[in-house]
Amino acid sequence: MDSATLLQSIVNGLMAGCIYILVATGLALLLSVMGIVQLAHGEIYMLGGYLTYYFCDIAGLHYLLALLIAMVLIGGLGILIEKAFFRPFRHGDLAPTVILSLGLMLLLQTSAVVTFGGYTKVLTTPFPGIINIAGVILSQERLILILITAVFVGGLFFLLYKTEVGRTMRAVSQDMNAALLLGISVDRVSSFAMFLGCALAAVAGGLMGAVFSLSPFMGGFALMKGIAVIVLGGMGSITGAVIGGLIIGLIDGIVPPLLSVEMASTIGFLVIILILLFRPQGIKGQPSR
Amino acid sequence: MSRKAVKPLSYSALIIFLFLIPLFVTSPYHLHIFIMAGIGVMLACSLRLIFNSGQFSMAHGGMMSIGAYTSALLVMKLGLSTWAALGVGAAAAAVLALLVGYPLVRLKGVYFALGTVFLEEIIKLIAQQWTDLTGGVVGLTGVPKPDPIVIPGLLNIDFTSKVDFYYFALVLVLLALLILYAIERSRINQIFLSIKQSESLAESVGVNTAKFKVLAFTMGCFFAGLAGAFYSQFMTVVMPSSFGFVYTVYVIVYMVVGGEKKFYGPIIGAVILIFLPESVRFLKEYQPFVFAAVLMLVIFFLPEGMVSLPQRLKMFFRERRKHA
Repeated sequence: MDSATLLQSIVNGLMAGCIYILVATGLALLLSVMGIVQLAHGEIYMLGGYLTYYFCDIAGLHYLLALLIAMVLIGGLGILIEKAFFRPFRHGDLAPTVILSLGLMLLLQTSAVVTFGGYTKVLTTPFPGIINIAGVILSQERLILILITAVFVGGLFFLLYKTEVGRTMRAVSQDMNAALLLGISVDRVSSFAMFLGCALAAVAGGLMGAVFSLSPFMGGFALMKGIAVIVLGGMGSITGAVIGGLIIGLIDGIVPPLLSVEMASTIGFLVIILILLFRPQGIKGQPSR
Repeated sequence: MSRKAVKPLSYSALIIFLFLIPLFVTSPYHLHIFIMAGIGVMLACSLRLIFNSGQFSMAHGGMMSIGAYTSALLVMKLGLSTWAALGVGAAAAAVLALLVGYPLVRLKGVYFALGTVFLEEIIKLIAQQWTDLTGGVVGLTGVPKPDPIVIPGLLNIDFTSKVDFYYFALVLVLLALLILYAIERSRINQIFLSIKQSESLAESVGVNTAKFKVLAFTMGCFFAGLAGAFYSQFMTVVMPSSFGFVYTVYVIVYMVVGGEKKFYGPIIGAVILIFLPESVRFLKEYQPFVFAAVLMLVIFFLPEGMVSLPQRLKMFFRERRKHA
């Protein structure tokens, strides 16, 4: 592999990593704040992609504006879902939340098939140009995707570690009952976490739709990668999700030109299982109690 | 008649009824669904065995593929008898479970669940890529049907009709349930349940929890392998995508929605939830809505599963009578 291909694969890997990070941080937030494994998170991501498509290609808004509107709307949907479905199951058994989120997954996926149609749609590339850096050709949209992700992840870190809201969220994820005793409204924090998680997934869907295509069944792939990332990074750790996302993304970027796409996934999963055997709590996770 | 005699009698009546079903249900399509329900029952009940030891396994689909591929390949490449292949396929899944079990049980709770997700994904990816052996994404086609059972002058079952397969599945599932029930009533199950309740407490009274957790995982996966081996001979096709992550989640759904606390919960869950989508086929693409609605109603209103419905109703009416 020559250096130009290598650089291109690294950029592809970073791009994949960005999508994984956006999906995985949402999963990690929901897992740490509410203690649920949200299997329908991939469908939230899919809906985000479709909404962006409708606002951008059908309504004719600017891509970035469409992305922002989709993000807010899907975040709102997340709040509704939290209130209607997940609230009674917070920090409970694994089984009911798995069933519930499977039901939700079917509900959202079927709604998407019925309203959007089963075939794929392509978001018009908002940034069609290419950039030539010393003979390495990189598409503009992929670089912008990485930039947008960096902004959102930076914003998330600021929110979590520098604001009052973030502090209450971290408090709830450490100990829900202690947070309740201190007068923190766990209901409100959960709603907010769901809003953030779903909004980030919607951004990922909108970005992905511009680079590849949209289909009602695109969520499964994102969910699987998201789970891989949070397990690798450490369940419920946002920093871990970022590190894990970059590792899995780079594997998925660099391995395919050498071997195959399937090999990349296999290697990714093997790496995770190996890391888990020596560090069962993941890279940045706390040992389970 | 004493109360004690009622239970065995009703069970025998049910089994006789199941054997008579092909007399009423003649359409191959409907028999196909009955057979799929049998596979679902076997999977859900064997998953419950793993669940009883406090482990949330999400590798059941993967283990089913191991059984299916092993038995199909042994018959196709080595010419083994299909009956032997059935057993070897199941054993292959059990051996794999034993090998990966020890490292996997180090993971606790959600981590174990997600670790098994990756195990399943790796099995699927290997099946997709080892094209020479497994046929890649297309999978194996033309897997031989079970060898005919011939007793000259008496019996000739050649597995050309769905009825033959129905009886094959029925016998297999009943045998599996018998074994699972024996395990359920044994001391080992008490140990599994003690681990589920509190692993550290079980350890403190001298239970080798790792050993018993691997034992539960291995035994459960044996039946998943068996179901897979049967599936390969029944469908005559095995694909990597046949039993993916979503398939496994469905098995978990059968178990939990049926009611995992009772032995017959997963049986009822699998049967109802496999027949339900078929009975609303006229809804076409809206069909999954019904399934999703049933799942959510059960989770919200019957947290102990469908099997708790009679008890719930009894309580409900008693309450009403009190207020009236």
